[in-house]
Amino acid sequence: MASRLLMRRVCSLSVRDFCRRPVTVSSSSSYSSSLTSSPAVQAFVTRSLLRPLFHTRSVSFNVQDQEDFTDRVVNSELPVLVDFHAQWCGPCKILGPRLEKAIAKQKGRVNMAKVDIDEHTDLAIEYGVSAVPTVIAMRGGDVIDQFVGIKDEDQLDSFAKRVSE
Amino acid sequence: MPPVENDPGREQIRSRIKELIDSSQVLVFSKSYCPFCVKVKELFKELNVKCNALELDLMENGTYYQDLLHEMTGQKTVPNVFINKKHIGGCDNTLKAHKDGVLQQLLGEGSEVYDYDLIVIGGGSGGLASSKEAAILGQKVMVLDYVAPTPKGTTWGLGGTCVNVGCIPKKLMHQTAMLGTAMQDARKFGWEFSEQVTHNWDTMKTAVNNYIGSLNWGYRVSLRDKNVNYVNSYAEFVEPHKIKATNKRGKEMFYTASKFILATGERPRYLGIPGDKEYCITSDDLFSLAYCPGKTLVIGASYVALECGGFLAGLGLDVTIMVRSILLRGFDQDMANRAGDHMETHGVKFIRKFVPVKIEELEAGTPGRLKVTAKSTESDEIIEGEYNTVLIAVGRDACTGNIGLDKAGVQVNPKNGKIPVNDEEQTNVPHIYAIGDILEGKWELTPVAIQAGKLLARRLFGGSSLKCDYVNVPTTVFTPMEYGSCGYAEEKAVEIYGQENLEVYHSLFWPLEFTVAGRDNNRCYAKIICNKLDNERVIGFHYLGPNAGEVTQGFGAAMKCGITKDQLENTIGIHPTCAEIFTTMEVTKNSGGDITQSGC
Ligand SMILES: Cc1cc2nc3c(=O)[nH]c(=O)nc-3n(C[C@H](O)[C@H](O)[C@H](O)COP(=O)(O)OP(=O)(O)OC[C@H]3O[C@@H](n4cnc5c(N)ncnc54)[C@H](O)[C@@H]3O)c2cc1C
Repeated sequence: MASRLLMRRVCSLSVRDFCRRPVTVSSSSSYSSSLTSSPAVQAFVTRSLLRPLFHTRSVSFNVQDQEDFTDRVVNSELPVLVDFHAQWCGPCKILGPRLEKAIAKQKGRVNMAKVDIDEHTDLAIEYGVSAVPTVIAMRGGDVIDQFVGIKDEDQLDSFAKRVSE
Repeated sequence: MPPVENDPGREQIRSRIKELIDSSQVLVFSKSYCPFCVKVKELFKELNVKCNALELDLMENGTYYQDLLHEMTGQKTVPNVFINKKHIGGCDNTLKAHKDGVLQQLLGEGSEVYDYDLIVIGGGSGGLASSKEAAILGQKVMVLDYVAPTPKGTTWGLGGTCVNVGCIPKKLMHQTAMLGTAMQDARKFGWEFSEQVTHNWDTMKTAVNNYIGSLNWGYRVSLRDKNVNYVNSYAEFVEPHKIKATNKRGKEMFYTASKFILATGERPRYLGIPGDKEYCITSDDLFSLAYCPGKTLVIGASYVALECGGFLAGLGLDVTIMVRSILLRGFDQDMANRAGDHMETHGVKFIRKFVPVKIEELEAGTPGRLKVTAKSTESDEIIEGEYNTVLIAVGRDACTGNIGLDKAGVQVNPKNGKIPVNDEEQTNVPHIYAIGDILEGKWELTPVAIQAGKLLARRLFGGSSLKCDYVNVPTTVFTPMEYGSCGYAEEKAVEIYGQENLEVYHSLFWPLEFTVAGRDNNRCYAKIICNKLDNERVIGFHYLGPNAGEVTQGFGAAMKCGITKDQLENTIGIHPTCAEIFTTMEVTKNSGGDITQSGC
């Protein structure tokens, strides 16, 4: 019993310590193999291929599912700020637009992903989100910084700047 | 006799017995005609355990077996039961071991290893409390929670009835209504604001549901932090130690556990008349209704009916409550009627002694228009009425019908679906326990489910022996005039102790806050029931007035300590409050003395 307890504590610690999460191998290969079959998939692939061109225009995107998260956040070449938010959370509604503004100022050096914690509970649980808004900064699949709660524009600017460097 | 010892035939049988003992999970030396043997074999059948039975009376050398068993175990009679090589004894010993749960342990040893120490079915008040407590005590725990959508398609998040469609939204909407009353009072206290005051349903609904969203998330996080494995799936037994979990997408998983706690709660009952599920809503829909319900008919006289009818009226809606017989069955009727009368004087209409027979849609919409046809319970009179919304609140049914309890052998009261348990919340199947609203004859209250769940986990896994005390549970009905109580209803006390052995003290009172506002004089009422045979100990406490929950809680603690009328009198009141009335009650009901307040 004791050993199991310990094991679990270590596991949960590692999650909360934001270790690099295991990357699912499936994503890119499965997309390319089914390229011809479905127009939706094709559109997706095209879009993701073109995405770098859009950097300056659309700085944020909504995470669709685990796979999307792996693809566009964990495997992203650019650093990504992940905004864990909820519909029911008032402060999130203030932080979101402010964060987008701060990201826009970085002129494509950092992306922003939005995760609705009620739609993607597993992701939020996995990344140790306890309260919203929680913003984590990821680079090369590692969590490099994070904060919880609301911040003013200056603070967000310097956060985004730090992450993009 | 030594020669017998050396009898090769006898030695052969001895090693045969040993072999059987070593190779069988359950071994019963039996006689085909023996009723005790039958009983034991049936028990194992019920437990779904394969039992190897040797009918000695049908075997040629059966008597030798019996002799040798006597020599080996000291037991002469059958049945002679072995489990996993251990000698258990006869019928009585086996049944006792089953009752104590020892049998299950012995059966578990050397055979199966379960996925979990504990699986809790239902993540409501009781289920969350027990699963978290068990995990804190080092157990490997899974909790499954799944909300089946209402006929209208409403569903909600983690946490069960209280958080999503019970206590929390109910109290917040009651508060909304009370703010309306406060605004009316405010003018009398000199506040001046525009005559036109309106209420926005959508704003209230969104704010309440946002708060609930945050609670749902909080529960999810605390399960993670306590290492409880949460699964959002519908659970049902397929074997006594195994459940099937089906998620939203229909994917099935199977899990086993050494012990189970059932905490599946209840859902609103429908009427079983044409149109009820198609057109009516229940409390499960009301709190997140996308539109203001408009002119509403509430069917039922449960506390849910009166509370919902009460706050809807408080929002300024036209509310009618249709009642078959009495208000608040099970509560003190004197109090229940006073709470009802107060509602009536504040614009809630009551249709008494009528039951609906059909609901028809006149016009779809949000809200639409419905026609309700109802029949008198006393005559052939039929009435019809038109409403925007019909809310059914005629009681709740335990969610025990579709969870495979037959597969686990758990007994259910067939009349109401409730689960009988002993004073340790144990069902007839020793490794399966039940808590909360599904229990037979227990309180249906959140704090009761939580307390029972916590204490159960501590007894099962923490070496505690403390049981949940279901006596003197304080509670409050949040009608527009709130009603708090603890202990016996007057009629129940009379039934148990006899009128002559009781002294009932009572008083009307006028809250100071109402005086300047000039409302509700001689509406608030306090009553205590004392047992004359026991030092005038307070065995019933009843309060109809503002902040009833806050007032009743402390008196509940006092009653747990056994407070008497004398001690109440020796308590100094806090002035000016409503609760102080209990320290100065002099008029007894027997005396017939005047209890009305005559103002200043
Ligand atoms: C309108 C209303 C107002 C109330 N107000 C109060 C109040 O003011 N104060 C108070 O103390 N109590 C109040 N109650 C009562 C209180 O809500 C209940 O007593 C309490 O929620 C019971 O807890 P429980 O754990 O037994 O069940 P619940 O809280 O009902 O939880 C059971 C959970 O199990 C889930 N479930 C059921 N079957 C399965 C299955 N097979 N697999 C997986 N999950 C399943 C259900 O979806 C639910 O989430 C109110 C109830 C209502 C309806």
